[in-house]
Amino acid sequence: MDDKFSPIPARVLPEAFSDLEPFSQWALATESERIAARDSSTLEELQVFYEVMMARIPAIIGYVDKFPFDRLPDDARNLFNLALSAVEASIAVELYHQPQVINGFDRARFRPVE
Amino acid sequence: MTIEADNKRWSAKYPELGTGPVSAEPCISPEYFELEREHIFRRSWLNVGNVCEVPELGDYIVRDIEVVSASILIMRGRDGVVRGFHNVCSHRGNTMAWDASGNCRGYLTCNFHSWGYDSLGQLRVVPDEDNFHNFDKSQHGLTPVATEVWNGFIFVNLDSKPHQTLGDYLEGVTGNLTGGDFDKLTLVRSYKIDEKANWKIGLDAQNEVYHLPFQHKYIMPDVFAANSAGYTRVKDVTLFKRHSVYSCDMNHEHKPSPMETLIGQIDPGRTRCRLPTKSEFDFYVLFPNFVIIIFRGISNDSCVTYNFWPLAVDHTIWEIRFYSPPATDAAERLINEFGQTRTRLVFEEDAVAHETVHTGLKSRAKRHLIFQDEEIQLRHFHKVVEEHVAQAKGD
Repeated sequence: MDDKFSPIPARVLPEAFSDLEPFSQWALATESERIAARDSSTLEELQVFYEVMMARIPAIIGYVDKFPFDRLPDDARNLFNLALSAVEASIAVELYHQPQVINGFDRARFRPVE
Repeated sequence: MTIEADNKRWSAKYPELGTGPVSAEPCISPEYFELEREHIFRRSWLNVGNVCEVPELGDYIVRDIEVVSASILIMRGRDGVVRGFHNVCSHRGNTMAWDASGNCRGYLTCNFHSWGYDSLGQLRVVPDEDNFHNFDKSQHGLTPVATEVWNGFIFVNLDSKPHQTLGDYLEGVTGNLTGGDFDKLTLVRSYKIDEKANWKIGLDAQNEVYHLPFQHKYIMPDVFAANSAGYTRVKDVTLFKRHSVYSCDMNHEHKPSPMETLIGQIDPGRTRCRLPTKSEFDFYVLFPNFVIIIFRGISNDSCVTYNFWPLAVDHTIWEIRFYSPPATDAAERLINEFGQTRTRLVFEEDAVAHETVHTGLKSRAKRHLIFQDEEIQLRHFHKVVEEHVAQAKGD
Protein backbone atom coordinates (compact mmCIF):
# COMPACT_ATOMS: atom_id res chain seq x y z
CA MET A 1 0.00 0.00 0.00
CA ASP A 2 1.14 3.46 -0.80
CA ASP A 3 2.60 4.95 2.36
CA LYS A 4 1.13 8.38 1.74
CA PHE A 5 -2.30 7.13 2.84
CA SER A 6 -3.30 5.89 6.27
CA PRO A 7 -3.25 2.09 6.36
CA ILE A 8 -6.75 0.61 6.19
CA PRO A 9 -7.40 -3.05 6.95
CA ALA A 10 -8.34 -5.29 4.00
CA ARG A 11 -12.00 -5.98 3.19
CA VAL A 12 -13.26 -2.62 4.27
CA LEU A 13 -16.08 -2.52 1.73
CA PRO A 14 -19.37 -4.42 1.42
CA GLU A 15 -19.18 -7.68 -0.51
CA ALA A 16 -21.12 -6.31 -3.49
CA PHE A 17 -18.43 -3.66 -3.93
CA SER A 18 -15.37 -5.87 -3.62
CA ASP A 19 -14.30 -4.66 -7.08
CA LEU A 20 -13.49 -1.32 -5.41
CA GLU A 21 -11.13 -2.87 -2.82
CA PRO A 22 -8.05 -1.74 -4.81
CA PHE A 23 -9.18 1.82 -4.06
CA SER A 24 -9.90 1.33 -0.37
CA GLN A 25 -7.18 3.81 0.57
CA TRP A 26 -9.64 6.45 -0.64
CA ALA A 27 -12.11 5.60 2.16
CA LEU A 28 -11.17 8.82 3.90
CA ALA A 29 -13.43 10.23 6.57
CA THR A 30 -12.49 13.90 6.55
CA GLU A 31 -12.29 16.61 3.94
CA SER A 32 -8.72 17.41 4.97
CA GLU A 33 -7.68 13.83 4.26
CA ARG A 34 -9.46 13.82 0.92
CA ILE A 35 -7.80 17.08 -0.12
CA ALA A 36 -4.39 15.77 0.96
CA ALA A 37 -4.95 12.55 -1.00
CA ARG A 38 -5.85 14.46 -4.16
CA ASP A 39 -2.91 16.81 -3.75
CA SER A 40 -0.44 13.95 -3.32
CA SER A 41 -1.71 11.63 -6.05
CA THR A 42 -0.66 11.65 -9.67
CA LEU A 43 -3.18 12.67 -12.32
CA GLU A 44 -3.02 9.13 -13.68
CA GLU A 45 -3.98 7.65 -10.30
CA LEU A 46 -6.81 10.15 -9.94
CA GLN A 47 -8.04 9.42 -13.46
CA VAL A 48 -8.24 5.66 -12.86
CA PHE A 49 -10.05 6.08 -9.54
CA TYR A 50 -12.44 8.67 -10.98
CA GLU A 51 -13.41 6.59 -13.99
CA VAL A 52 -14.09 3.49 -11.93
CA MET A 53 -16.16 5.48 -9.45
CA MET A 54 -18.21 7.36 -12.03
CA ALA A 55 -19.71 4.04 -13.06
CA ARG A 56 -20.38 2.96 -9.47
CA ILE A 57 -21.70 6.06 -7.69
CA PRO A 58 -25.40 5.41 -8.49
CA ALA A 59 -25.11 1.89 -7.08
CA ILE A 60 -23.23 3.18 -4.03
CA ILE A 61 -26.01 5.63 -3.21
CA GLY A 62 -28.57 2.89 -3.69
CA TYR A 63 -26.69 0.61 -1.30
CA VAL A 64 -25.82 3.14 1.38
CA ASP A 65 -29.34 4.54 1.47
CA LYS A 66 -30.67 1.18 2.59
CA PHE A 67 -29.32 2.13 6.03
CA PRO A 68 -30.22 5.03 8.31
CA PHE A 69 -27.66 7.66 7.32
CA ASP A 70 -26.68 8.55 10.88
CA ARG A 71 -26.03 4.88 11.74
CA LEU A 72 -24.14 3.47 8.78
CA PRO A 73 -22.30 0.17 9.26
CA ASP A 74 -18.54 0.62 8.95
CA ASP A 75 -18.31 -0.97 5.51
CA ALA A 76 -21.13 1.19 4.12
CA ARG A 77 -19.50 4.26 5.66
CA ASN A 78 -16.20 3.35 3.98
CA LEU A 79 -18.01 2.87 0.70
CA PHE A 80 -19.67 6.26 0.97
CA ASN A 81 -16.36 7.89 1.81
CA LEU A 82 -15.04 6.50 -1.49
CA ALA A 83 -17.83 8.39 -3.25
CA LEU A 84 -16.91 11.60 -1.42
CA SER A 85 -13.29 11.09 -2.47
CA ALA A 86 -14.40 10.60 -6.08
CA VAL A 87 -15.98 14.06 -5.96
CA GLU A 88 -12.65 15.37 -4.71
CA ALA A 89 -10.77 13.51 -7.46
CA SER A 90 -13.10 14.98 -10.10
CA ILE A 91 -11.66 18.41 -9.29
CA ALA A 92 -8.32 17.31 -10.68
CA VAL A 93 -9.66 15.27 -13.58
CA GLU A 94 -12.42 17.57 -14.80
CA LEU A 95 -11.29 21.07 -13.93
CA TYR A 96 -7.56 21.53 -13.52
CA HIS A 97 -6.17 18.52 -15.40
CA GLN A 98 -3.53 18.30 -12.71
CA PRO A 99 -3.77 17.06 -9.11
CA GLN A 100 -3.50 20.45 -7.43
CA VAL A 101 -5.59 23.58 -7.81
CA ILE A 102 -3.93 25.88 -10.33
CA ASN A 103 -2.78 28.97 -8.48
CA GLY A 104 -4.17 27.44 -5.28
CA PHE A 105 -3.76 28.88 -1.83
CA ASP A 106 -1.22 27.86 0.79
CA ARG A 107 -2.76 24.70 2.24
CA ALA A 108 -1.49 25.42 5.75
CA ARG A 109 -3.44 28.69 5.82
CA PHE A 110 -6.69 27.31 4.34
CA ARG A 111 -8.14 25.09 6.98
CA PRO A 112 -11.35 23.07 7.01
CA VAL A 113 -12.71 23.31 10.54
CA GLU A 114 -13.33 19.67 11.46
CA MET B 1 -29.33 32.01 -20.05
CA THR B 2 -28.68 35.38 -21.59
CA ILE B 3 -29.56 38.55 -19.77
CA GLU B 4 -29.75 41.62 -21.91
CA ALA B 5 -29.48 44.72 -19.80
CA ASP B 6 -28.57 48.30 -20.45
CA ASN B 7 -25.05 49.24 -19.55
CA LYS B 8 -24.57 51.63 -16.63
CA ARG B 9 -28.04 51.00 -15.22
CA TRP B 10 -26.94 50.94 -11.57
CA SER B 11 -25.27 54.33 -11.63
CA ALA B 12 -28.57 55.62 -13.03
CA LYS B 13 -30.39 53.99 -10.09
CA TYR B 14 -27.93 55.38 -7.54
CA PRO B 15 -26.52 58.60 -9.07
CA GLU B 16 -25.50 59.93 -5.66
CA LEU B 17 -22.64 57.43 -5.56
CA GLY B 18 -20.92 59.07 -8.51
CA THR B 19 -18.73 57.28 -11.01
CA GLY B 20 -15.22 58.43 -10.19
CA PRO B 21 -12.24 56.49 -8.89
CA VAL B 22 -12.15 55.53 -5.20
CA SER B 23 -9.14 55.93 -2.95
CA ALA B 24 -7.14 52.76 -2.31
CA GLU B 25 -5.46 54.24 0.75
CA PRO B 26 -8.02 52.86 3.25
CA CYS B 27 -6.97 49.35 2.19
CA ILE B 28 -3.32 49.84 3.11
CA SER B 29 -3.09 52.63 5.67
CA PRO B 30 -2.30 51.51 9.24
CA GLU B 31 -3.68 54.83 10.52
CA TYR B 32 -6.94 54.30 8.69
CA PHE B 33 -7.15 50.79 10.09
CA GLU B 34 -6.93 52.19 13.63
CA LEU B 35 -9.90 54.45 12.84
CA GLU B 36 -11.87 51.49 11.52
CA ARG B 37 -11.05 49.55 14.64
CA GLU B 38 -12.37 52.28 16.94
CA HIS B 39 -15.23 53.69 14.93
CA ILE B 40 -16.51 50.71 12.99
CA PHE B 41 -15.66 47.49 14.79
CA ARG B 42 -16.13 48.81 18.32
CA ARG B 43 -19.50 50.34 17.45
CA SER B 44 -21.19 48.03 14.95
CA TRP B 45 -23.27 44.92 15.37
CA LEU B 46 -20.97 42.01 14.56
CA ASN B 47 -22.12 38.51 13.71
CA VAL B 48 -20.36 35.93 15.86
CA GLY B 49 -22.24 32.74 15.06
CA ASN B 50 -25.58 31.03 14.95
CA VAL B 51 -27.92 29.68 17.59
CA CYS B 52 -27.44 26.19 16.15
CA GLU B 53 -24.02 26.24 17.83
CA VAL B 54 -25.60 26.56 21.29
CA PRO B 55 -28.66 24.31 21.02
CA GLU B 56 -28.85 23.10 24.64
CA LEU B 57 -29.30 25.00 27.88
CA GLY B 58 -25.85 25.90 29.19
CA ASP B 59 -24.13 25.48 25.81
CA TYR B 60 -21.51 28.10 25.08
CA ILE B 61 -19.11 29.15 22.37
CA VAL B 62 -16.14 31.50 22.67
CA ARG B 63 -15.36 34.00 19.93
CA ASP B 64 -12.15 35.93 20.06
CA ILE B 65 -12.58 39.23 18.22
CA GLU B 66 -9.00 40.39 17.97
CA VAL B 67 -9.76 43.65 16.19
CA VAL B 68 -11.41 44.88 19.38
CA SER B 69 -9.18 42.85 21.74
CA ALA B 70 -12.18 40.99 23.09
CA SER B 71 -12.97 37.40 23.87
CA ILE B 72 -16.75 36.91 23.88
CA LEU B 73 -18.57 34.10 25.63
CA ILE B 74 -21.92 33.33 24.00
CA MET B 75 -24.02 31.17 26.31
CA ARG B 76 -27.55 29.82 26.30
CA GLY B 77 -28.77 30.31 29.85
CA ARG B 78 -30.83 27.84 31.80
CA ASP B 79 -33.77 30.11 30.89
CA GLY B 80 -33.13 29.46 27.16
CA VAL B 81 -31.94 33.01 26.40
CA VAL B 82 -28.71 33.42 24.40
CA ARG B 83 -26.48 36.06 26.03
CA GLY B 84 -23.04 37.42 25.40
CA PHE B 85 -20.43 38.22 28.03
CA HIS B 86 -16.84 39.27 28.09
CA ASN B 87 -14.96 36.04 28.71
CA VAL B 88 -13.18 37.57 31.67
CA CYS B 89 -13.28 36.63 35.35
CA SER B 90 -14.41 39.37 37.74
CA HIS B 91 -11.67 38.58 40.25
CA ARG B 92 -8.44 39.57 38.51
CA GLY B 93 -9.32 39.46 34.84
CA ASN B 94 -8.32 35.96 33.88
CA THR B 95 -9.76 34.45 30.69
CA MET B 96 -12.66 32.27 31.82
CA ALA B 97 -13.48 29.65 29.19
CA TRP B 98 -10.45 28.30 27.35
CA ASP B 99 -12.24 25.92 25.01
CA ALA B 100 -13.87 27.09 21.78
CA SER B 101 -17.14 25.55 22.92
CA GLY B 102 -18.60 23.65 25.83
CA ASN B 103 -21.48 23.38 28.25
CA CYS B 104 -21.86 25.14 31.57
CA ARG B 105 -23.08 22.27 33.73
CA GLY B 106 -23.70 23.94 37.02
CA TYR B 107 -20.89 26.45 37.03
CA LEU B 108 -18.31 27.74 34.63
CA THR B 109 -15.17 27.89 36.73
CA CYS B 110 -12.13 30.09 36.40
CA ASN B 111 -8.85 28.18 36.34
CA PHE B 112 -7.06 30.74 38.48
CA HIS B 113 -8.97 30.75 41.83
CA SER B 114 -12.05 28.68 40.96
CA TRP B 115 -14.57 31.49 40.89
CA GLY B 116 -17.73 29.94 39.47
CA TYR B 117 -20.43 31.52 37.29
CA ASP B 118 -23.80 30.09 36.31
CA SER B 119 -25.27 29.96 32.82
CA LEU B 120 -26.83 33.41 33.33
CA GLY B 121 -23.38 34.88 34.00
CA GLN B 122 -24.04 35.37 37.71
CA LEU B 123 -21.13 34.84 40.11
CA ARG B 124 -22.12 31.95 42.37
CA VAL B 125 -18.95 30.48 43.87
CA VAL B 126 -16.04 32.35 45.48
CA PRO B 127 -13.61 30.18 47.45
CA ASP B 128 -12.66 31.76 50.80
CA GLU B 129 -15.34 34.38 50.19
CA ASP B 130 -15.42 35.62 53.81
CA ASN B 131 -11.83 36.78 53.52
CA PHE B 132 -12.69 39.43 50.90
CA HIS B 133 -13.45 43.00 52.00
CA ASN B 134 -16.91 44.54 51.62
CA PHE B 135 -17.64 41.97 48.96
CA ASP B 136 -21.07 41.26 47.48
CA LYS B 137 -20.75 38.57 44.85
CA SER B 138 -24.15 39.40 43.36
CA GLN B 139 -22.50 42.57 42.04
CA HIS B 140 -19.69 40.74 40.26
CA GLY B 141 -21.22 38.66 37.47
CA LEU B 142 -19.61 38.39 34.07
CA THR B 143 -19.66 41.67 32.12
CA PRO B 144 -22.54 41.51 29.65
CA VAL B 145 -22.09 42.42 25.98
CA ALA B 146 -25.06 43.67 23.95
CA THR B 147 -26.28 40.53 22.16
CA GLU B 148 -29.21 40.00 19.82
CA VAL B 149 -30.37 37.20 17.56
CA TRP B 150 -31.89 37.65 14.10
CA ASN B 151 -32.93 34.72 11.89
CA GLY B 152 -30.78 32.54 14.13
CA PHE B 153 -27.65 34.63 13.59
CA ILE B 154 -26.09 35.93 16.80
CA PHE B 155 -24.75 39.48 16.82
CA VAL B 156 -22.85 41.37 19.49
CA ASN B 157 -22.06 45.05 19.84
CA LEU B 158 -18.98 46.00 21.84
CA ASP B 159 -20.26 49.51 22.47
CA SER B 160 -21.24 49.65 26.14
CA LYS B 161 -24.41 51.50 25.07
CA PRO B 162 -25.22 50.68 21.42
CA HIS B 163 -26.87 53.57 19.61
CA GLN B 164 -29.28 51.24 17.82
CA THR B 165 -30.99 47.93 18.32
CA LEU B 166 -29.93 45.19 15.92
CA GLY B 167 -33.29 45.49 14.14
CA ASP B 168 -32.74 49.18 13.46
CA TYR B 169 -29.14 48.56 12.48
CA LEU B 170 -30.15 45.94 9.91
CA GLU B 171 -32.65 48.37 8.36
CA GLY B 172 -33.70 47.24 4.88
CA VAL B 173 -32.19 43.78 5.11
CA THR B 174 -34.72 42.59 7.66
CA GLY B 175 -37.54 43.45 5.25
CA ASN B 176 -36.00 41.26 2.55
CA LEU B 177 -34.94 38.35 4.71
CA THR B 178 -38.16 37.73 6.52
CA GLY B 179 -39.92 34.40 6.89
CA GLY B 180 -38.35 31.25 5.56
CA ASP B 181 -36.92 28.23 7.30
CA PHE B 182 -33.88 29.79 8.95
CA ASP B 183 -34.56 27.59 11.97
CA LYS B 184 -33.86 24.50 9.83
CA LEU B 185 -30.27 25.56 9.15
CA THR B 186 -27.36 23.87 10.82
CA LEU B 187 -23.66 24.51 10.43
CA VAL B 188 -22.51 21.76 8.08
CA ARG B 189 -19.05 22.90 6.98
CA SER B 190 -16.65 25.71 7.67
CA TYR B 191 -13.25 27.03 6.70
CA LYS B 192 -10.84 29.52 8.15
CA ILE B 193 -8.50 31.22 5.73
CA ASP B 194 -5.55 33.17 7.08
CA GLU B 195 -4.91 35.91 4.53
CA LYS B 196 -2.20 38.53 4.25
CA ALA B 197 -4.64 41.10 2.95
CA ASN B 198 -6.81 43.93 4.14
CA TRP B 199 -10.30 42.81 5.19
CA LYS B 200 -11.99 45.12 2.66
CA ILE B 201 -10.00 43.66 -0.25
CA GLY B 202 -11.38 40.22 0.54
CA LEU B 203 -14.89 41.51 0.94
CA ASP B 204 -14.69 43.56 -2.27
CA ALA B 205 -13.47 40.59 -4.25
CA GLN B 206 -16.44 38.54 -3.13
CA ASN B 207 -18.92 41.35 -3.62
CA GLU B 208 -19.19 41.12 -7.41
CA VAL B 209 -19.56 38.49 -10.12
CA TYR B 210 -17.73 40.41 -12.86
CA HIS B 211 -14.58 38.40 -12.11
CA LEU B 212 -16.10 34.92 -12.22
CA PRO B 213 -15.56 33.96 -15.89
CA PHE B 214 -11.97 35.18 -15.68
CA GLN B 215 -10.47 34.39 -12.30
CA HIS B 216 -12.51 31.19 -12.02
CA LYS B 217 -12.18 30.12 -15.65
CA TYR B 218 -11.47 26.50 -14.69
CA ILE B 219 -14.42 26.17 -12.32
CA MET B 220 -17.19 28.42 -13.51
CA PRO B 221 -16.56 30.03 -16.87
CA ASP B 222 -20.28 30.07 -17.61
CA VAL B 223 -22.15 29.26 -14.39
CA PHE B 224 -23.72 32.69 -13.79
CA ALA B 225 -26.15 34.45 -16.11
CA ALA B 226 -24.39 36.74 -18.57
CA ASN B 227 -25.16 38.93 -21.55
CA SER B 228 -24.60 37.84 -25.14
CA ALA B 229 -21.00 39.00 -24.94
CA GLY B 230 -20.41 36.63 -22.00
CA TYR B 231 -20.16 39.32 -19.34
CA THR B 232 -22.04 38.60 -16.13
CA ARG B 233 -25.08 40.74 -15.45
CA VAL B 234 -26.81 40.76 -12.08
CA LYS B 235 -30.57 40.77 -11.83
CA ASP B 236 -30.73 43.43 -9.17
CA VAL B 237 -28.66 45.60 -6.87
CA THR B 238 -30.30 47.15 -3.85
CA LEU B 239 -28.32 49.43 -1.61
CA PHE B 240 -29.46 50.21 1.92
CA LYS B 241 -28.09 52.79 4.31
CA ARG B 242 -25.16 50.57 5.28
CA HIS B 243 -25.85 47.20 3.76
CA SER B 244 -26.37 45.92 0.24
CA VAL B 245 -27.62 42.97 -1.75
CA TYR B 246 -27.02 41.88 -5.30
CA SER B 247 -28.98 39.09 -6.91
CA CYS B 248 -28.07 36.83 -9.81
CA ASP B 249 -29.53 33.95 -11.63
CA MET B 250 -27.53 31.01 -12.88
CA ASN B 251 -26.90 30.17 -16.51
CA HIS B 252 -28.98 27.02 -16.92
CA GLU B 253 -27.40 26.37 -20.31
CA HIS B 254 -23.91 26.10 -18.92
CA LYS B 255 -21.95 23.02 -19.91
CA PRO B 256 -21.87 20.59 -16.99
CA SER B 257 -18.91 18.32 -16.30
CA PRO B 258 -19.53 14.55 -16.17
CA MET B 259 -19.54 14.58 -12.36
CA GLU B 260 -21.97 17.48 -12.31
CA THR B 261 -24.23 15.60 -14.72
CA LEU B 262 -24.07 12.50 -12.56
CA ILE B 263 -24.80 14.46 -9.39
CA GLY B 264 -27.66 16.21 -11.18
CA GLN B 265 -29.30 12.85 -11.84
CA ILE B 266 -29.45 11.96 -8.15
CA ASP B 267 -32.89 12.36 -6.59
CA PRO B 268 -32.40 15.20 -4.11
CA GLY B 269 -35.26 14.09 -1.88
CA ARG B 270 -38.02 16.16 -0.39
CA THR B 271 -37.86 19.88 0.24
CA ARG B 272 -37.40 20.83 3.88
CA CYS B 273 -35.91 24.30 3.77
CA ARG B 274 -36.91 27.35 1.78
CA LEU B 275 -35.38 30.76 2.39
CA PRO B 276 -36.51 34.17 1.13
CA THR B 277 -34.74 34.79 -2.17
CA LYS B 278 -34.87 37.39 -4.93
CA SER B 279 -32.94 35.18 -7.35
CA GLU B 280 -30.92 31.97 -7.36
CA PHE B 281 -27.98 33.68 -5.65
CA ASP B 282 -28.56 36.60 -3.29
CA PHE B 283 -25.43 38.15 -1.84
CA TYR B 284 -26.00 40.34 1.21
CA VAL B 285 -23.26 42.45 2.74
CA LEU B 286 -24.20 43.29 6.31
CA PHE B 287 -21.89 46.10 7.26
CA PRO B 288 -19.18 45.91 8.29
CA ASN B 289 -17.79 42.41 7.83
CA PHE B 290 -20.61 39.88 7.51
CA VAL B 291 -21.96 38.33 4.31
CA ILE B 292 -24.97 36.09 3.88
CA ILE B 293 -25.34 34.33 0.54
CA ILE B 294 -28.67 32.62 -0.04
CA PHE B 295 -28.56 29.79 -2.57
CA ARG B 296 -31.70 28.57 -4.19
CA GLY B 297 -31.43 24.79 -4.26
CA ILE B 298 -33.40 22.28 -6.30
CA SER B 299 -34.58 20.63 -3.14
CA ASN B 300 -33.36 22.75 -0.23
CA ASP B 301 -32.18 26.33 -0.04
CA SER B 302 -29.01 26.92 1.91
CA CYS B 303 -26.73 29.73 2.83
CA VAL B 304 -23.07 30.51 3.12
CA THR B 305 -21.78 33.19 5.43
CA TYR B 306 -18.49 35.04 5.52
CA ASN B 307 -16.98 36.88 8.43
CA PHE B 308 -13.92 38.92 7.54
CA TRP B 309 -12.05 39.33 10.83
CA PRO B 310 -9.20 41.81 10.56
CA LEU B 311 -6.14 41.17 12.72
CA ALA B 312 -4.13 44.05 11.24
CA VAL B 313 -4.32 46.33 8.22
CA ASP B 314 -2.73 43.57 6.14
CA HIS B 315 -3.90 40.44 7.90
CA THR B 316 -7.41 38.93 7.96
CA ILE B 317 -9.12 35.72 8.94
CA TRP B 318 -11.76 34.94 6.33
CA GLU B 319 -14.22 32.64 8.05
CA ILE B 320 -16.59 30.75 5.75
CA ARG B 321 -19.58 28.78 6.96
CA PHE B 322 -22.06 26.58 5.11
CA TYR B 323 -25.50 26.34 6.68
CA SER B 324 -28.11 23.90 5.43
CA PRO B 325 -30.49 21.33 6.83
CA PRO B 326 -28.42 18.31 7.91
CA ALA B 327 -28.27 15.70 5.13
CA THR B 328 -30.60 12.81 5.90
CA ASP B 329 -29.25 10.37 3.35
CA ALA B 330 -26.27 9.59 1.13
CA ALA B 331 -27.87 11.14 -1.96
CA GLU B 332 -28.34 14.51 -0.31
CA ARG B 333 -24.92 14.38 1.35
CA LEU B 334 -23.18 13.68 -1.97
CA ILE B 335 -25.06 16.49 -3.72
CA ASN B 336 -23.91 18.82 -0.93
CA GLU B 337 -20.34 17.54 -1.18
CA PHE B 338 -20.22 18.35 -4.86
CA GLY B 339 -21.58 21.89 -4.50
CA GLN B 340 -19.57 22.69 -1.41
CA THR B 341 -16.22 21.39 -2.63
CA ARG B 342 -16.58 23.21 -5.96
CA THR B 343 -17.37 26.35 -3.99
CA ARG B 344 -14.29 25.72 -1.84
CA LEU B 345 -12.15 25.92 -4.99
CA VAL B 346 -13.58 29.35 -5.72
CA PHE B 347 -12.52 30.44 -2.24
CA GLU B 348 -9.03 29.06 -2.77
CA GLU B 349 -8.57 30.95 -6.00
CA ASP B 350 -10.07 34.07 -4.44
CA ALA B 351 -7.83 33.95 -1.38
CA VAL B 352 -4.76 34.01 -3.61
CA ALA B 353 -6.09 37.08 -5.40
CA HIS B 354 -6.94 38.86 -2.14
CA GLU B 355 -3.25 38.71 -1.30
CA THR B 356 -1.97 39.68 -4.73
CA VAL B 357 -4.30 42.68 -4.77
CA HIS B 358 -3.05 43.72 -1.35
CA THR B 359 0.53 43.40 -2.54
CA GLY B 360 -0.25 45.53 -5.56
CA LEU B 361 -2.02 48.26 -3.63
CA LYS B 362 0.64 48.34 -0.94
CA SER B 363 3.19 49.39 -3.55
CA ARG B 364 1.11 52.56 -4.09
CA ALA B 365 1.72 52.16 -7.83
CA LYS B 366 -2.02 52.83 -8.09
CA ARG B 367 -3.69 55.23 -5.70
CA HIS B 368 -7.24 54.47 -6.77
CA LEU B 369 -9.65 51.66 -7.43
CA ILE B 370 -11.72 51.84 -10.61
CA PHE B 371 -15.22 50.39 -10.33
CA GLN B 372 -17.49 49.54 -13.26
CA ASP B 373 -21.27 49.63 -13.10
CA GLU B 374 -21.65 46.00 -12.00
CA GLU B 375 -19.33 46.85 -9.09
CA ILE B 376 -21.50 49.65 -7.74
CA GLN B 377 -22.06 47.80 -4.47
CA LEU B 378 -18.30 48.07 -3.81
CA ARG B 379 -18.50 51.80 -4.39
CA HIS B 380 -21.34 51.92 -1.88
CA PHE B 381 -19.40 49.85 0.66
CA HIS B 382 -16.33 52.09 0.47
CA LYS B 383 -18.56 55.13 0.90
CA VAL B 384 -20.17 53.65 4.02
CA VAL B 385 -16.75 52.89 5.48
CA GLU B 386 -15.61 56.42 4.70
CA GLU B 387 -18.75 57.92 6.26
CA HIS B 388 -18.21 56.00 9.49
CA VAL B 389 -14.60 57.08 9.73
CA ALA B 390 -15.38 60.70 8.78
CA GLN B 391 -18.22 60.86 11.27
CA ALA B 392 -15.91 59.56 13.95
CA LYS B 393 -13.31 62.19 13.15
CA GLY B 394 -16.03 64.82 13.65
CA ASP B 395 -17.04 63.46 17.08
